[in-house]
Amino acid sequence: MTPATESRPRREIPWFEARVPRVHGDFTWVYLWGAPLRVMHWVSVFSIITLVVTGLYIGQPYFMAGGEASSHFLMGRFRFAHFLAAAIIVMAAIVRVYWLFVGNVYERWPALFPVTPRNLRNVWLVLKSYFTMRLEKQPHFVGHNPLAQLAYTTIYFVTAAMIVTGFSMYGQAAPGGFFDTIFGWLPPLVGGLQRVRLIHHTLLWVYPMFVLIHVYLAIRADSVEHAGGVSSILTGGRFVSSHDTFEDFNIHDQPSEPWKSKHH
Amino acid sequence: MFVRNAEPWMDGSSLGEHLEETGVSRRSFLEFCTEMAVILGLGSAAAPSVAKALESQARPTVIWLEMQECTGCVESTLRTEAPTIGNLLLDVVSLDYSETLMAAAGHAAEKAKADAMAKNKGKYVLVVTGSVPTKEDGMYCTVAGRTIRQHLEEAAEGAAAIIALGACAHWGSVQAARPNPTGAVGVRDIIKNKPIVNIAGCPPIGDVVTATVVHFLTFGRLPAVDREGRPLFAYGNRIHDQCSRRAHFDAGQYVESFDDEGARKGWCLYEMGCKGPATYSPCPIVQWNQRTNWPIGAGHPCIGCTEPYFWDTMAPFYNRLPNVSGFGVEHRIDTIGASLAVGAAAGVAAHATMTVMHQIRRRKAHQTPDSGSTSGEERNNG
Repeated sequence: MTPATESRPRREIPWFEARVPRVHGDFTWVYLWGAPLRVMHWVSVFSIITLVVTGLYIGQPYFMAGGEASSHFLMGRFRFAHFLAAAIIVMAAIVRVYWLFVGNVYERWPALFPVTPRNLRNVWLVLKSYFTMRLEKQPHFVGHNPLAQLAYTTIYFVTAAMIVTGFSMYGQAAPGGFFDTIFGWLPPLVGGLQRVRLIHHTLLWVYPMFVLIHVYLAIRADSVEHAGGVSSILTGGRFVSSHDTFEDFNIHDQPSEPWKSKHH
Repeated sequence: MFVRNAEPWMDGSSLGEHLEETGVSRRSFLEFCTEMAVILGLGSAAAPSVAKALESQARPTVIWLEMQECTGCVESTLRTEAPTIGNLLLDVVSLDYSETLMAAAGHAAEKAKADAMAKNKGKYVLVVTGSVPTKEDGMYCTVAGRTIRQHLEEAAEGAAAIIALGACAHWGSVQAARPNPTGAVGVRDIIKNKPIVNIAGCPPIGDVVTATVVHFLTFGRLPAVDREGRPLFAYGNRIHDQCSRRAHFDAGQYVESFDDEGARKGWCLYEMGCKGPATYSPCPIVQWNQRTNWPIGAGHPCIGCTEPYFWDTMAPFYNRLPNVSGFGVEHRIDTIGASLAVGAAAGVAAHATMTVMHQIRRRKAHQTPDSGSTSGEERNNG
């Protein structure tokens, strides 16, 4: 009996990646999103749902507890869930910021700002095809189209603002403490604690709108545009046809082990 | 409330000697010192030190300037706890000039002030209530033929420290609320080169004023302050975190209107627009009018009067959040946000329907000439 270490095939694919055949006839599997980015995405999904539901309760308690106060801890639990989910999404944000420096070309800093003239023209073309239903006129991208990318960049900035305003309010309970010292500059800047509260509460509504449109367009991209949006955030990659041309990708430049490459 | 037949505190005699002359017992003096030590956060063990420092104190000169204000701060200060000694202290220290409390009037009063300031230059404490109007060269508030700004600048010149008493004196309070017709500002906007302590509130609690004066007399300097210039011993914690109704907040029990079941049971006033979660003040602990009660205790939400520019920043007083300008008065952010979210949902639904209809039409069109095969164009949509 040969030792197990020798019988096992040498791992070419990192352990966390889907083991799918890379080439199917005309189709090649392209690796897009690193595992940290995908983990961040799904952790954020659960955090954002928790934060929106508990945040709306904290802003305007929509049901109450009867009887003695000593036998209930309703708002306390909602706030605990809110702070826990907030802590988790902050960790996800830290991972995302790290990945802006070490991720691949679709995940790095420059990818957040598709503001070249060509990209801006593509924003317009994508918008136009969304409104006219002319799929054949829509430019193709293996990564995010620039319109989608701008939406994600916006969500990153909104989340950053939520984190700053959130910690600013969190720090109020302990003046001179850690969070108050780091985020205490905000209330005087925007005109008081109530203004901070208003900003935090207003930006909350960005998330339900974003989630609705994002989920819809992702499913649409998967089913109608055949862009593999939903599967790539699960498996990390998607199949591309060698017959297609992409604005952000050339099949002939594709390295044999894409996950080892930082720059395509 | 005042000590009757009190002999004036003469220059040269210490506070201890003066109290003995006026017949205040040692016991009540020590009680006062203990209370002040506790309010200042020094602990009751510090009472002997406070007593020692106070009784050896020579008569301090205090000039009390009343500017553009309602006199509520003076009223509040007179209702301090431990009235005998607390008021004696204020009575004697405000002897030199206080428009509300002094007996002198007219030219005699102005002369007393000028004499006191000249004699104690660089040593006296300046207490200021009210704001300074800056528009029209300050003509909105004049005393003895001169603008209050001139009085303030003159008095601040020789002051050792300034106690800005009340919301007006630091932020201008209601006079400075939008649109601020008189251009009212606080003392800190006029006087930049003197230590100023901000006794915030509209009005502040009398005991906090007395304790600040005691701190100054005991240690010779103003107490430690937070980033708004308020003494930490009083304004170090949020009302929300010291509130007697906090258990109802955590439990999820809220008053929804002033005459409902929750209001009768003393539930949390969060939904009534209570600003306790954004307000730093000792109200829940020190309370008002000799520990009679305080606003939330009486069933009214906190309006946040110790916070910067509270007439603007804490309004509306009976809503949780500020109104959103440009959408009408009664539109709250939840209405607007929910409308936009519903709009987004409707847009998504409409677009999805359009997409499905379009796909059906396209497939039919492709299937008509050559059914079953996938055209290159369709595959090219990746």
